[in-house]
Amino acid sequence: MPVPLYGFLEGDTIGLLILAEESETMDSLAERLQEAASLRVAPSSSVSVVYGESSLAPTMTVAQAGMKPLERFDVVRCAR
Amino acid sequence: MAQGVEAMLKRDDWLKLARKLDWNYSYVKEGDVFPEIISGHPWLPHADWQDWEESFKNSYREYVENQHEKDLSVYAVRDAVGRLEDVEKLNPGWVNGLKIHAAGLALAEFTGSIGNLRGARFGRDSAWRTMAAFGALDEFRHTEIPLLLYHQLVRWDPQFDWAHLFYHTNNWFAIAARHFFDELTLGQNAIEFHIATNFILETGFTNLQFIGLASLAHQANDRIFEKMVTSIQTDEARHAQIGHPVLTMVMKHDPEYAQYLVDKWFWRNWRMFSIVTGVSMDYLTDLEQRPSSFKEFTEEWIIDQFLRTLDEFGLKKPWYWDLFLDELDVYHHMVYATAYTYRSTLWFNCVVPGPKERAWLRAKYPKYWDELDAVWERIALQWKTVGPGEDHEASVHSTAMPTFCDLCQLPLSAGTPSKNSASVLSYEGASYIFCSEPCKWIFLREPERYAGHRELVKRVLSGEAPGSMPELLTEYFHLNPATWGKDAFAGHYAWMNEG
Repeated sequence: MPVPLYGFLEGDTIGLLILAEESETMDSLAERLQEAASLRVAPSSSVSVVYGESSLAPTMTVAQAGMKPLERFDVVRCAR
Repeated sequence: MAQGVEAMLKRDDWLKLARKLDWNYSYVKEGDVFPEIISGHPWLPHADWQDWEESFKNSYREYVENQHEKDLSVYAVRDAVGRLEDVEKLNPGWVNGLKIHAAGLALAEFTGSIGNLRGARFGRDSAWRTMAAFGALDEFRHTEIPLLLYHQLVRWDPQFDWAHLFYHTNNWFAIAARHFFDELTLGQNAIEFHIATNFILETGFTNLQFIGLASLAHQANDRIFEKMVTSIQTDEARHAQIGHPVLTMVMKHDPEYAQYLVDKWFWRNWRMFSIVTGVSMDYLTDLEQRPSSFKEFTEEWIIDQFLRTLDEFGLKKPWYWDLFLDELDVYHHMVYATAYTYRSTLWFNCVVPGPKERAWLRAKYPKYWDELDAVWERIALQWKTVGPGEDHEASVHSTAMPTFCDLCQLPLSAGTPSKNSASVLSYEGASYIFCSEPCKWIFLREPERYAGHRELVKRVLSGEAPGSMPELLTEYFHLNPATWGKDAFAGHYAWMNEG
């Protein structure tokens, strides 16, 4: 069952709707959001997903993170 | 005949009776004639409203004579400089800004007529009702003027034709505009209508439109738009005065509610006008024809005057004032950058700001411009990569579903590129998202009014609206390749070939 999520990429000017799968990893979520926003923001290999107050492990899934429909997640650049 | 003329009263002898004609009801209750749900809160007996007075008094004869003169003046300017051949000479960016007004203005003014008619029936004093009757006639005039002046453009440019369809579509901006005007005018009680429309919208924000944009029109050599908005503004100045005595009474009996109405409607007006006027002034007006920035116009025409007026009434600044001041530097820029990359969802064409435009924007909006400039750099890079031409429009366009605020129905483009201020709320088992704290605050204050509304994403997820961009454009927004927005120059910018 797809989980509709609001994705906000650091550097972008709008939130985007991402239809995630429960088994989808944070890595994949980040890649898809960056791809969706690529006309406005250059993709980076060094990003992480933030949900609530926490930065999530790249291999964690949407289900494991407990993400619910119509919640917000952010993709932010990692500090070098 | 001479005897009859001598018997006529002078205007000052009969005007008071003509405008102040109230009576005590003996066959019905006053509360049934003026139910609170339509007349508004607070409900007070007429004895409390009987001293309601407008500053500038008008008789119907004077009204008709004045308005007739104004209309003759509009016709004269139209005949002299408002023909199609005059519009064809205007800068393409400016012409596309006109399409925003061609879409939004006429029916919005018509809803103002309906709102005033509510005041004309349910206003609590006869002088108020009389002024509202004139206000309704004014707004009807404001409906007709743009329809008259832009009618000739309907065959010339299909986007002007589509502009007249705007409110009848589910274009995302039409959803937002209907949401705003439905609540402001059509679905509103008389007291809230007059405060929201006369006191907030017409005393502050329309100055931005009708004086600020008029000066830009002058610079752009668009004399007919200049005449249209300045002529409309002369009426605003008269009927906007209804708001003050209404607010005075509400302040006297329920100051907390008065403050709430001011705070709510300033924010809601800000959201609409910052997009309509900000985008027109800072992006669609040619650089050489911009005497000031949108922020400078707002500071001059809204902020100073509004704060003075609040002071006179004993009202406080809206609680979000610092946020509003910060948004002056960023909000309409966020929205326009987003809108450019989704321009096919619009009915007007957009332009990419070049190096000179970006330098001007950086000088006028230094606080967050670095973040915004990076977005324009990226967009320009894509045009350089694919090359100019109409065939490459789709390569410089986003396809992911954008998202919208559950209150204002506008894109979730508030905050800054590095920190978007959207926040999620769970309320009575349902999930909502708001672009900003003030939108969330308004929702929570009147959830019964807003909780059932569905912004565009919810319509897509429920199946009411199609999920694919092409179907959304054609079936839900009723756009087609001739009418949907494009780059005004198909990516042909001389500066893209330089350096």
